[in-house]
Amino acid sequence: MTENTAVMATYGLQKAYGSCQALDGVNMLVRRGDIYGLVGRNGAGKTTIMRMISGQSQPTGGEMELFGASGKNMRPQRQRTGTMIEIPSFSPFLTARENLEYYRLQRGIPGKGAVDEVLELVDLTDTGKKKFKAFSLGMKQRLGLALALMNHPDFLILDEPINGLDPEGVAEFRQILRRLNQERQTTILISSHILSELSSIATRYGFMEQGKIIEEISAEALHDKCRTCLRLEVDDAARAAAVLQTQLGTDKFEVLPGNVVQLYDCLDDPKRASYALAQNGVALLAMEQKGADLEAYFLNLIGGGRNV
Amino acid sequence: MFNYIRAEFYKLVRRKYTYIALGFFLLLEGLLVACYAFHNAHSNPTPFGGAIPIVVEMGAVGFCICLLTADIVFAGQYKNSTLKNEVSFGLSRTRIYLGKLIAQTLLSILYLVAMMGFFLGACAIVLPIDPPLAPDEPLYYTLAENALIIVGWFLAAGLPLWIAGQAAACTCQFLINGDMAASFVYVGIVFVLEPILQIAGALTGGRVGDVLFKICAYLPGPLLDSAKSTVGDWSYMGQTWIVGLFWLAVCTAVGLYGFNRKEIK
Repeated sequence: MTENTAVMATYGLQKAYGSCQALDGVNMLVRRGDIYGLVGRNGAGKTTIMRMISGQSQPTGGEMELFGASGKNMRPQRQRTGTMIEIPSFSPFLTARENLEYYRLQRGIPGKGAVDEVLELVDLTDTGKKKFKAFSLGMKQRLGLALALMNHPDFLILDEPINGLDPEGVAEFRQILRRLNQERQTTILISSHILSELSSIATRYGFMEQGKIIEEISAEALHDKCRTCLRLEVDDAARAAAVLQTQLGTDKFEVLPGNVVQLYDCLDDPKRASYALAQNGVALLAMEQKGADLEAYFLNLIGGGRNV
Repeated sequence: MFNYIRAEFYKLVRRKYTYIALGFFLLLEGLLVACYAFHNAHSNPTPFGGAIPIVVEMGAVGFCICLLTADIVFAGQYKNSTLKNEVSFGLSRTRIYLGKLIAQTLLSILYLVAMMGFFLGACAIVLPIDPPLAPDEPLYYTLAENALIIVGWFLAAGLPLWIAGQAAACTCQFLINGDMAASFVYVGIVFVLEPILQIAGALTGGRVGDVLFKICAYLPGPLLDSAKSTVGDWSYMGQTWIVGLFWLAVCTAVGLYGFNRKEIK
């Protein structure tokens, strides 16, 4: 994929609130067709980035591109986006349908069918005369998603969108996002604290810490990094590699610095590997089975286990 | 812009507050007419032409309506965090600001029409219409005609000043996050500023005092108070329009400048 397929990119993006540096030189690239999972602990700057993309907040430094446009006037580009940032907010005295109709009129979206279509998509057709103020958090989230989808956006920005959804709602939500991504090629930027959920849909990740993107990685690369393996600490990694190839007939291993070999084979029978190494004069100093999910990977990356 | 105003009215007609506020004012007017009817039943009747000029005493009500309609249209957008839905879609902040200002002004005009229509209609029904003048006095207006001219003059002079008030209310709503605080500041500008300047002018005296008194004369509220004594004075009418449009321009410029730099949450 080339650079010109970028839907959104930031270059050294900064945001300061007084002496607090909320974003500190964020470089980020979301390409067309990505489901980009933004991962970071509370206060890392995820929502701040999303608020800047959507024009709710202005950066204090750096640059931002949306559909190839940069500078202060990105209003036409923003009309190609759908956003749901923080808790969905609507007029409390209107029903779901009335709220959406209000925004449909305001945005000049043709056809009343647009409202029915999105209400059906998020399963909110039977709320009748119930006002928004009486909605549960899950219903509010669904309505927020409906508004974000009403203009058939090319780029969907979702901040913690599955908060408050029941398990069935989460599954439906996941299906909706997959369908939008696959059928309409909608690019999605999504943040969530529920990393297992994020890992089931994201195709690319950005890990944030203290206002910076510390790593951007594709889902495939992350999968490779996280897959289960035997971590062998030996006295001579080169010899160990040769033994694994000749004696066990496998090349599913990686040699890492520090005389460490990660073996992706023999997982069900680790003794085979240790026996082969010992037989061929390679001292096995330590052996452990290792594997990580997205959460473990992130915690490892930021070097701590505080709340995500 | 048309879409924006259309959407605002879609919301307004579905809001109970819109009707409750109007109903409250109509009720007060109804009570006033009932008082006239009661008075007429027990003493010398006040005719239609004698009753309706009371409208000119109620310029302040117009400024209250400006605040009320600003609140109805703005609908707690900071409290409910709904402005982010508009900004993040790429609607320009200028359009949002002017759209709300126009919607507020149109709603105020609708309120004015409804209130004036109700009051004049009720007075016409309940109170006796003045007897026509003698045929040998054709150049003079009847009492009712004269009263309608006074009311019309007052409305024509008041309109730009109320629009200025509307602009001030809109600015307060957009720049101040809390509804209560915004209302407080508006009341301060429209109703409290004048007596403070008067007192300050009297205390300081001299040139400074003169300047402060001069400023007072160009505040919308005090200017409107002079309407009843200046019927037919076109220089006064011109002054109200110039002052009204000046306030409208200043308040809108300040509001747009501030709102375009505001963080939306």
